Amino acid sequence: MRDWNAKGRDRQARREAGGRLAAGKFIEPSKLVAFLEAVLKPGDRVCLEGDNQKQADLLAKALCKVDPSKIHDLHMVQSGVVLPEHLDLFEVGIACRLDFSYSGPQSARIARMMFGGQIELGAVHTYLELFARYFIDLTPQVALIAAVSADRAGNLYTGPNTEDTPTIVEATSFGKGLVIAQVGEIVDQLPRVDIPADQVHFVVDAGRPFFVEPLFTRDPAAITETQILTAMLAIKGLYAPYGVRRLNHGIGFNTAAIELLLPTFGERLGLRGKLCTHWALNPHPTLIPAIESGWVEQIHCFGSEVGMEDYVRARPDIFFTGPDGSLRSNRAFCQTAGLYACDMFIGSTLQIDLSGHSSTVTGSRVAGFGGAPNMGSDARGRRHSSDPWLRAGREADPEGNPALRRGRKLVVQIGETFGDGNAPTFVERLSALDLADKLQLDLAPVMVYGDDVTHIVTEEGIANLHLCRDKDEREHAIRGVAGYTEVGRARDRKMVERLRERKVIQCPEDLDIDPLDADRSLLSAHSIKDLMLASGGLYRPPSRFRNW
Amino acid sequence: MIRQSWYEQSARGRLANLLDPGSFSEFLGPERREMSPHLALFDLPRQFDDGIIIGTGSIEGHKVLCAAQEGRFMGGAIGEIHGAKLTGLLHAACRLQRDVVIAFDTGGVRLQEANAGELAISEMIRALLEARAEGVRVVGLLGGRAGCYGGGSLIAGCCSALVISEQGRLSVSGPEVIETNKGVEEFDSRDRALVWRTMGGKHRYLIGAADIFVDDDVAAFRLAAIEALRVPAVLDQSVLAGEQARLELRLRRFGDAADGIDVWAKLGVARPAELPELDIDAFHATANACREGADAAR
Repeated sequence: MRDWNAKGRDRQARREAGGRLAAGKFIEPSKLVAFLEAVLKPGDRVCLEGDNQKQADLLAKALCKVDPSKIHDLHMVQSGVVLPEHLDLFEVGIACRLDFSYSGPQSARIARMMFGGQIELGAVHTYLELFARYFIDLTPQVALIAAVSADRAGNLYTGPNTEDTPTIVEATSFGKGLVIAQVGEIVDQLPRVDIPADQVHFVVDAGRPFFVEPLFTRDPAAITETQILTAMLAIKGLYAPYGVRRLNHGIGFNTAAIELLLPTFGERLGLRGKLCTHWALNPHPTLIPAIESGWVEQIHCFGSEVGMEDYVRARPDIFFTGPDGSLRSNRAFCQTAGLYACDMFIGSTLQIDLSGHSSTVTGSRVAGFGGAPNMGSDARGRRHSSDPWLRAGREADPEGNPALRRGRKLVVQIGETFGDGNAPTFVERLSALDLADKLQLDLAPVMVYGDDVTHIVTEEGIANLHLCRDKDEREHAIRGVAGYTEVGRARDRKMVERLRERKVIQCPEDLDIDPLDADRSLLSAHSIKDLMLASGGLYRPPSRFRNW
Repeated sequence: MIRQSWYEQSARGRLANLLDPGSFSEFLGPERREMSPHLALFDLPRQFDDGIIIGTGSIEGHKVLCAAQEGRFMGGAIGEIHGAKLTGLLHAACRLQRDVVIAFDTGGVRLQEANAGELAISEMIRALLEARAEGVRVVGLLGGRAGCYGGGSLIAGCCSALVISEQGRLSVSGPEVIETNKGVEEFDSRDRALVWRTMGGKHRYLIGAADIFVDDDVAAFRLAAIEALRVPAVLDQSVLAGEQARLELRLRRFGDAADGIDVWAKLGVARPAELPELDIDAFHATANACREGADAAR
C-alpha cells in the first residue's frame, strides 16, 4: 500500500538527526556545519533566505562549509542571490541548480558562472512568480531563514524587515519541509510573534543582527535638474490629469525627485489630497517631506529601510505596524497589492527599444528582476474599477463597449535620454538580446514588456503609447521623446508634430512647463540631513549617507 | 524663504552671492582661455578658467580681491594655471594692501601636474604670508563639495580667518588617502559620519581650526565674511609663539584620541555622541562654552 506520509516521515527523520546536535530547538553556532550536514541530503531543494534587503548570512556561511562529498547537488530556490556565499556554494560543488529572482550585487559573477556551466539555471523569476512556485513545483525541503529574535519556544520576531519570511515558512513548513532560523538574540518575551513556533523546527543564535542593506535611500543632493524636469512633467502631465491616488514608485532618482516635488510643485498646483494618497512602497526617506505635509494616507511596504525604524514607529496611521509599534512588511502581499490595487507604476530603466520593451541588462550582467515586472504590468485579472484605470482603458480602446472594456494600469517608464556615463537610454536593440544569445536563454530578460508600457517620460516630454494606433506611430512616439540619442535623431519631424497635435507626445511647453524652472530650489529637501530634520530627527540615516 | 545652499552652489554662484551685486570684475576670465598645459597630454578635458575664478569686488562696500575654486572640475584640484592665478591674486593683494576672500573647494594638488601644482602651493603660501606680513586679511570660506584637502588645506591654514559650515571639511590627508596608506582599520573612508567627526566643520570649529561656524547658506557665509573682514589680522612672532604653544597643548590633550567624539568629551561637551545632530543654535551654545580658541595663525 502507498505511504501517504512519506514527506512527513522524511521531515521527522531530519528532525531527529538534527536534534542529536541541538538542545531542543536550539543549535550552538559552533555545531552549525555538522548540524546542516545531518539534516540536508544531496539533491535537496533549499531556500537560503536571501531577500531584497535582509540576509541569513550566518546560515549562508555555514552552508558553504559543509562537506561537498556529503552534501551536493543542492537546488537553491531563493529570491535574492546577494551575498558572495550564495554563489560560493556553486563554486565548491555543494549546489548545482538555481531558481531565483534578483542578483543585483552578484550580477556579473552569476553571469560568468552561468556561462561557465557552474550554475544550471532553472529560471529568473519575478518575486511573485518564485513565491507562487514555492507552493506548486519548487517547495523547499529545507528553508534557512533570518529573524531578529526568538523566544524559548521558537516563536520568531522578524522586525521591520519581515520581507519574504512568512511566505518561505508557509510553503516549507506546511509542505513538510524543515525550517531553520538564524536569530540575532534569544529573549524571554518577543515584541510580537511574526512566525509561530510550530512552524519553526530549529533556531541558531547568531548573537548579532542579520545583515541588512539600505537599498532605497536616495540622497537629494544627487538629484539633477534634468531629473527635476522629468518629475515636473510626470506630476503635471500624468499624475494630475489621471488623478492617480494609488501607486508604486521605483527606486531611482527620477521618482525620488517626484517624491520631493510633491510638497512644493505639487502643492502649488493644488494637488494635495487628490493624488498619491495610497502607496505600495518601501519606506523611502525621500517621501518624508510629503508624509509630513499631509499628502500620504497609507503605505504598505515590501520591506523596510535602514534608519527609518523610529520614523515609521512614530507614524502608525501611515504604516502597517504591529502591536509593538514596529513595521510589518511583507513582500508577497505588497507585490500583490502593487499588481492589483495600484493604478500606476512608475520607474526608471536603463534601456528602452522602439517597441517600448525595457531592460536593465547592460553588458554581461544577469541582475534578475525583483518586483518591477509585477508592478510594471497590467493586471489582466483585475475586476474593480477606478478613474485612472478606466480612463487609461478608454484611451487604449476608444471604440470598445465601455461595459466590456478592460481598464489599464498606467505603466510609466521615466528617465533621462542619456543615463549614467552618457549611455543612451533609447536603443535599436536591447543588450538583453545579446545576453540571451550568449547564455542560450529561452527568454531575453525584459523588465517591462512594451505592450504593458503606457507612457515614457524624459526631459523631452511624455509619450503616451496607448494612444498610438499602429507600430509606426508607437515607434515615432518613442523617437519623439528620445532627444539627441541616435534613436531620437532618426525621427521624422512631421510625424512627431502630428503625434504632438494628438497629444500622443507632450513637450514641456505643451504642459506649460518652462524647463528653466526645473531648479533644485523646488526640492523639499536638499540633502539627507534635510530629510532627517523634516522627520523631526526620527529618521536616522546610515553613516554612509551622512555629510555631518 | 528658501535657504540657498553654499555647498550646492558653483564657484560663480558663490561669488555672486558673496559679493555686493554688480561689484565683481574678473581677472583672466574664461574668455582668455588660460587653460592647463598638462591635461591635454592625458587626454583629459580642460576648462577655460582652469577651475578657479579670481577677481575684485566689494563686500558690504569693503573692497576685496576674491577667488573661488570650482569643486566640480577635477575636484577643485590645483594645477599650474589654477595655482598661478591665485598666486598672482595674492601678490596683488600685497601690493594694493587689499584684503582677500577665498572660497575653497579643493582636493589638493592635481596629480596630472603634480610638480607644477606643488610648486604653485609653495608660491601661494609665500605670497599669502607676504601679504599678511603687510597687514592684509586673508579670509577662507570652507563649505564646498570637495572639502579643503591637501595643498589647499595648507593655504587655508595660513589664512587670517576661516569660516566653515558643517558640510565643510578641512584636512591635509583626505579619507581615501588615509585608508589607502594606513588601512581601513585606521580609517574607513566610507564611514561618512567618521569623516565628518574627524574633518568636518563642527569638529574643526571645536578644536579652534576655524574661527566662525555658519549654516550651509550663502547669506550666512556673506555675513561671516563681513565679520571676518572687520577683525584686525596681525601676523608677528608673538602670534606664532602663541600658536605653537596651543598646538603643543592640543597634541598633549588629544594626541591619543581615536575619534572626534573622544576629543569632544575631553573638551567637556556633555553628550559628545549627540553633537553631530545638534542644529546650529544648539551647537553654538555648546561649542562656544568649551571650544578651543582659534588664533590668527593655525
